Amino acid sequence: MRLTRWTTTTVLLAFLALGCGQSGGTGERGTIGVSVLTLTNPFFKVIADTIKADAAERGYDVIVTSGEYDVAKQQAQVKDFIVKGVSAIVLCPCDSKSIGPAIQEANQKGIPVFTADIACLAPEAEVVSHIATDNFGGGKQAAQAMIEALGEEGGQVVVLDFKQAESCILRVDGFKEAIAEYNKGRTEGTIDIVAELPGDGKKAQGYKTTEDALQAHPGVKGIFAINDPSALGARAALEKAGKADEVTIVGFDGQPMGKQAIKEGKIYADPIQFPDKIGAMTMDSIVRYFNGEEVPPEQLIETALYRKEDARQDNSLDSSRRVEP
Amino acid sequence: MQIKRPKRSFFGGLGEHGMLVVLVGLCLYFSVATWAEQHPTGPEAARSLADLVAGETLPKASVLIVVQQGRTETEFAETLGDELEEQGLTVAGLVQGRPSDARRALERIAASSGKLGAIACTETTASWGLIAQLGEQFPHLKEVRVFQPQGYYWPNFLKTDNLLNIANQIAVIAIIAIGMTMVIITGGIDLSVGSLIALSAVAAALLLRDAAGGSTATTTALVVCSLGGIIVCAASGLLTGLMITLFAIPPFIGTLAMMLIASGLAYILADGQSINEIPDAILQFDRGTTLGIPNTILLMIGLYVVAHVVMTRTVFGRHVYAVGGNIEAARLSGVPVKRVIVSVYVLCGALAGLAGIIMMSRFKSGDPKYGLMYELSVIAAVVVGGTSLAGGEGRIMGTLTGAFIIAVIQNGMNLTNVESYTQKVVLGVVILGAVMLDRFRRRDAG
Repeated sequence: MRLTRWTTTTVLLAFLALGCGQSGGTGERGTIGVSVLTLTNPFFKVIADTIKADAAERGYDVIVTSGEYDVAKQQAQVKDFIVKGVSAIVLCPCDSKSIGPAIQEANQKGIPVFTADIACLAPEAEVVSHIATDNFGGGKQAAQAMIEALGEEGGQVVVLDFKQAESCILRVDGFKEAIAEYNKGRTEGTIDIVAELPGDGKKAQGYKTTEDALQAHPGVKGIFAINDPSALGARAALEKAGKADEVTIVGFDGQPMGKQAIKEGKIYADPIQFPDKIGAMTMDSIVRYFNGEEVPPEQLIETALYRKEDARQDNSLDSSRRVEP
Repeated sequence: MQIKRPKRSFFGGLGEHGMLVVLVGLCLYFSVATWAEQHPTGPEAARSLADLVAGETLPKASVLIVVQQGRTETEFAETLGDELEEQGLTVAGLVQGRPSDARRALERIAASSGKLGAIACTETTASWGLIAQLGEQFPHLKEVRVFQPQGYYWPNFLKTDNLLNIANQIAVIAIIAIGMTMVIITGGIDLSVGSLIALSAVAAALLLRDAAGGSTATTTALVVCSLGGIIVCAASGLLTGLMITLFAIPPFIGTLAMMLIASGLAYILADGQSINEIPDAILQFDRGTTLGIPNTILLMIGLYVVAHVVMTRTVFGRHVYAVGGNIEAARLSGVPVKRVIVSVYVLCGALAGLAGIIMMSRFKSGDPKYGLMYELSVIAAVVVGGTSLAGGEGRIMGTLTGAFIIAVIQNGMNLTNVESYTQKVVLGVVILGAVMLDRFRRRDAG
């Protein structure tokens, strides 16, 4: 019995030591603290990884953490960055408004804060530069893809949105503006947005919402989902209802699963984002800032439309792998 | 007759304070693990830096001072400037701000072809690319020497700022854990506390926005609306308490239902968004200090002292233990069982409401996403603190220790760069281990 106890204690301590054994040294230039929205989404992982790789080349160390959608957790991470005395902080805020006080605290300590992908909307917080995808322009590209897919007949379109994120609101705004532009002066063949429903940016919610939308609008011709997971959720619901061939899906992001689905014709097209460019631009802005150069408060990176043709020539896609929506 | 006492083993010997020993051990461990170079910015550092600069440069050399924004930085720069002039050096200029400000100052100096002897920096400004690679940026300033205060070694973990951080970060969990301890001692459980945090913050923020004038609300309105949020949660607690006592609904189910109801209500009331039309004064509650200690921490300590007295010195406290120990015996000996049970749920709800107000004050917004999964952290703190889920047993101060064990592990792992998936595993293992140690201790102590 006694043996078990000591084993327990030893295992416990070993675990703790193992867990904490990874503390990194300080780079010659200093350390950069990064807290992203979630590391379960490859998009943010690419941003973090790019920053890490670029930072190493320029003599910085990087600590990557993730708020996992919990702004309280993210605030704690920012406070820990401050205690550690990092040179700069990069955030993908878990909540655009509630992250304000944490950024203010870093401001008071003179630590410059950069935001990537998700902007901070708290007026009292000071952000050196916000680096993100041009989501509004991306939304317009999505509309362009929808228009070319539906053709002269037009039809009813459902939008799966995610109102909690500013970036996703912009995508929908851009989409609606371009659709309205298209409809102007047309009496027939218009594209009508019949519903904007919450897709939560997740597969399960996209699936449920699409099922409901099909009940309310059986004649729907197109679905615009604000990211790949909710687009694939919509696809699954369409397949179940036997309408997969009648309805065009336009997604957003261009994550590997989204690109694969485009290759297989499950999604018509995606305005794709370039998280690696966002990460690189962020790191570049940090270096420029410390060099004493002026950094613009907002730097937008354009999306590009990605269709089946692009997917065919995309070597990053494994032809043997298939996406099951 | 002699009573034979069982021989005490190591774990039994830990006695009542077993978890406290674990906590101290963790603190020691992280103190060693976060041993790092610190960079002083006080007037003391400014004086020694001035000596250093004076000793290493020519007499009457001109020195540029570069610091960041902030009060301590200003003090540092002023002391440094005075000391340098006292030592017979010339202060060529003072830059306080961003790297771009320093660049402009350097460009000015370069343009006026003035001679610069040295640049005196803080550790941070010396690391700016502009200054660290001065020669590359301004070739004819290549000879200029850059000075910074000498560092010293001290654990990041034991910095005052960090210790306050830990207490601040766990305050929300620890305050609710008081109510949860009482609920668990009566043999119940409350799963609704996480959602009640959100409900309270949203309700108070909504009242402030729609009834008290939003950002321009007065301090009185702030207090009234905050109380409103707490009352809503106390009422939710009352409802669950009544469900549990009057209709004999198991606490697990009753509070699970309340968890869903409260969370849903919070989302409906807030329309899924965070509400931040709140006066800035709200930030003062969480950020402000009294006698140098942050208000939230004082509040937590105060509540723990009161709760400790209530549970050990009052009739109500004895009733709570009696109900959890043996409900039938308690009933037969005249304990108002139902009233006691309802009271602990009301109290637990009200404390969750208070925690919601702290969250609102911390983030200057009410958000239905607050408190997600917090009920599990609260229950973990209570259990690690030695309270038995079977009821009838547990100590308030044990819960405080439990909460701090969790907080110290989380903070320590952040400071030692453990990535977040490993953190979850370590935390789980530590909770399991802490509870196992406690079991051994109890059995050995007999």
